[in-house]
Order: sequence, then C-alpha cells, then structure tokens
Amino acid sequence: MTQLLDRPDTLRTNADTYDGHGPVTADLDALLRRVAHHDREAFAAFYDATRSRVYGMVLRVLRDRGYSEETTQEIYLQVWRTAESYDPASGSALAWLLTLAHRRAVDRVRSEQASTQRDARYGAATVERATDNVTDAVISGEERQRVTACLESLTDIQRECIELAYYQGMTYVQVSEKLSANLATIKSRMRDALKGLRNCLGVR
Amino acid sequence: MTEPRDTDLVELAVPYALHALSDAERDDVETRLSGAGLPAVDSFYDEVRAVRETMAVVSAVSAAEPPEALRDRLLSAVRDDNVIALPRRRRNAWLSVAAAAVIGLGALGVGLSLRPPAPQQSTAQQVFTASDVHTVSGAIPAGGTATVVFSRDRNAGVLVMNDVPPPSPGTVYQMWLVSDDGATSAGTMDAAAVAPSTTAVLADLHGSKKLAFTVEPGSGSTKPTGALIAELPLI
Repeated sequence: MTQLLDRPDTLRTNADTYDGHGPVTADLDALLRRVAHHDREAFAAFYDATRSRVYGMVLRVLRDRGYSEETTQEIYLQVWRTAESYDPASGSALAWLLTLAHRRAVDRVRSEQASTQRDARYGAATVERATDNVTDAVISGEERQRVTACLESLTDIQRECIELAYYQGMTYVQVSEKLSANLATIKSRMRDALKGLRNCLGVR
Repeated sequence: MTEPRDTDLVELAVPYALHALSDAERDDVETRLSGAGLPAVDSFYDEVRAVRETMAVVSAVSAAEPPEALRDRLLSAVRDDNVIALPRRRRNAWLSVAAAAVIGLGALGVGLSLRPPAPQQSTAQQVFTASDVHTVSGAIPAGGTATVVFSRDRNAGVLVMNDVPPPSPGTVYQMWLVSDDGATSAGTMDAAAVAPSTTAVLADLHGSKKLAFTVEPGSGSTKPTGALIAELPLI
C-alpha cells in the first residue's frame, strides 16, 4: 500500500509463483517475454522446452493424434500472438501456457461432442500412469515419478473427478450427473483433489 | 455482496480453473466477480492460480513428443507472420485508452497523444518543446514502467506506459492527479489498453504534486478506493 516508486528499478515484482522443479520453469518466463517482442529464436526455444507437455496434455484430452497436432499448432500460434498478455504476477509462464492449451483442448472436445457422440476412444475413467518409454530432454524421470506418486496418493474418487473434468473436458455439472453425486459433493471432491495434489507437489 | 454468495463464488474457483464450467456458468461467475468484494475476488484468483500452477506441474505425467513436422510448420508460420501486426495492436490500445479515459474524465481533460492532424501543435508537442520539460519514470511493481513527461508552463503532461501487465479481470488501473485538495481521476486503463505500450495526455496538471495509480473495480471509481500500485512525483 505504502510502497511507492520514485526511481526506476527500485521495486521488483514479487510474483508468488511456483518456485520450479527443474531448470525449465524459471527460464520460460524470460523466453515468453522475448516471444512477446516477436523474437523467433525465443519462440523456438519456448516451443522446444514445452512442446511435450502441451502436446501430451492435448492428446490426453482429445485422444486423437491428428486433432491434437492441429490443436497444438493453434495453441502455439496463439502464444506467438498473445505472449504480451502474459502477466508474471498472476503465475508462471508454464501455468499460463498450460491454461491456454487446456482451454483450447476443452473447447475442441466440446465442439466435437456437440456434433458427434463420443465413442469408445474416450476410454475409461482412470488417470494414466506415466508412460515409462517416453524419453524427454526437458522433463526428468524423477519429476514424472513424483507427479505420478502424488496422483496415486489421491482417493479413487478424487482422481476420477480430475479425470472427468480435466482430461475428458466435462463440466462439473456433467461430472455430478455421471457419478450420480450432488453438485456440492462434486465441488468439494474437486477442491480436495486439487488441494491434495498441490500439497503433495509442494506448489506454493 | 453478501457473505453466502461470496463463499459460493470461491467454491467455483476450482471448476473455473479446470475449465469445468459451461460458457454460460463461466460468464455468470465473471459477472459476479466484477460485483464481489475484494477479499472474495482475491481468494477466488488465489485459488485459480494455485490450480493452474498445480496442473502445469501435473502435465509432466502426460508428456508426449509431437511430430517433428509440427515444429517446422510453426516456425515457418511465425516467419511469415510479419511484425506489422504490432503497431496495429498499439493503435487499438490507444483507442481503448480514449474510450476508457472518457469514462474516467472527472473535472480534468484527458486526451489522446495520437490525434488527427491539427492545425495547432499537439499538447504532446507543446510539452516536449517546453523550456521547463521534466521527465519522471518508475517501475511498476507488477512489471513494466511508467514515464511522465510534463511541463508546468504548459500545464500538461504525457504519460507513457510500457510492458505493464493487464489488471486482473473485473478491475482497471486508474490514474489520479493528486494535489493538496485531493485526487482527481486522470483516466482508467483496462486489460486491452495496457499492452504493450500506452500513451495518454494529461491535459491539466493544476497544482497536482504526483500521479498515482490504483487498482479499481469495474470501470473505475470517482475517488481512489483500491490498492495503490505506484506513484510518480511530478516535481
């Protein structure tokens, strides 16, 4: 409140962001700022550092390689065009990216659902284990194991809520219908699930 | 807002952050946020932020390599996406400032630095060529910088803001000229107006001693009510 500015650079942003596991998180902020100034090298580096997370999440939601590739392309073009809207004070660059990506994936799922009935490829309601055969330069095996362990620490019912809402693109109202539970119950399960994950992962 | 409604609102933060609301529900939540009390809005967005950070970390488990061809397509797409897009965006930002400034005018005039060609010197030109021109500049804590070039002789100033992050949804930045008599609104800026660069003319400085920036709900306030984010001394 009383913190005034009188000279440049005397005050710093104290964004309360995830402090990062692995070197990627911190650098992404700087890269994204350069992308905002249409730095193509920074864009390529940003893509390389994040593509497997984005494409993998989108694929998990859409379950179709063709759609997922198309959607991933749209996501990164949106990054190129809107990087300047990234606000470090409201979160990390990685969270900004995954939020944008998930929004697009969910929009795609819902528009597909609107035109066709979902078929069997949308599979059973379980959060997949990390695929051990993925070799990835930017995500360590330890990190994947840690996240997998945290997902497994949730109750089945909490995991199911995340699966249906986050990975199948259902609204919480649809989740409550699918699980024959009332809305208040679903809301609190989702909240508990996220709280459990957050604590387990040490996200501030 | 009444307490129960605000509590109810915060309970929707997780579904909101997971994109698990229908479009209609999401619009409804955003409308309610713009009318909710600050503590409720803060706790809502704190929770949203935490969910997003958490799911960003969780994305490690589903990681999968996209086809190589996608990289080539993207890089060639951005190579062809010429930089002319940027100035056009800036222009839109200036126009938004004009629209926002009209709402927050108060007693003082706020004009645009980009006016149609006028027979007379623009206010900005008058300021820049004044013999007593001063410049003050400061970093905004949330990011970006604000600079005011002003002249007491001309009784006017030009504000330039660069790389300032947009205000949270449902709020605007509001500028105030502060004198011994109190604060007078010098215009507001919404998310569309701040990025990447904004210019506004402060057409009447009077006895103001500083330019203050606050965060205000909705489209702005008649008096400063929100958090003071920055101040520039006009001396």
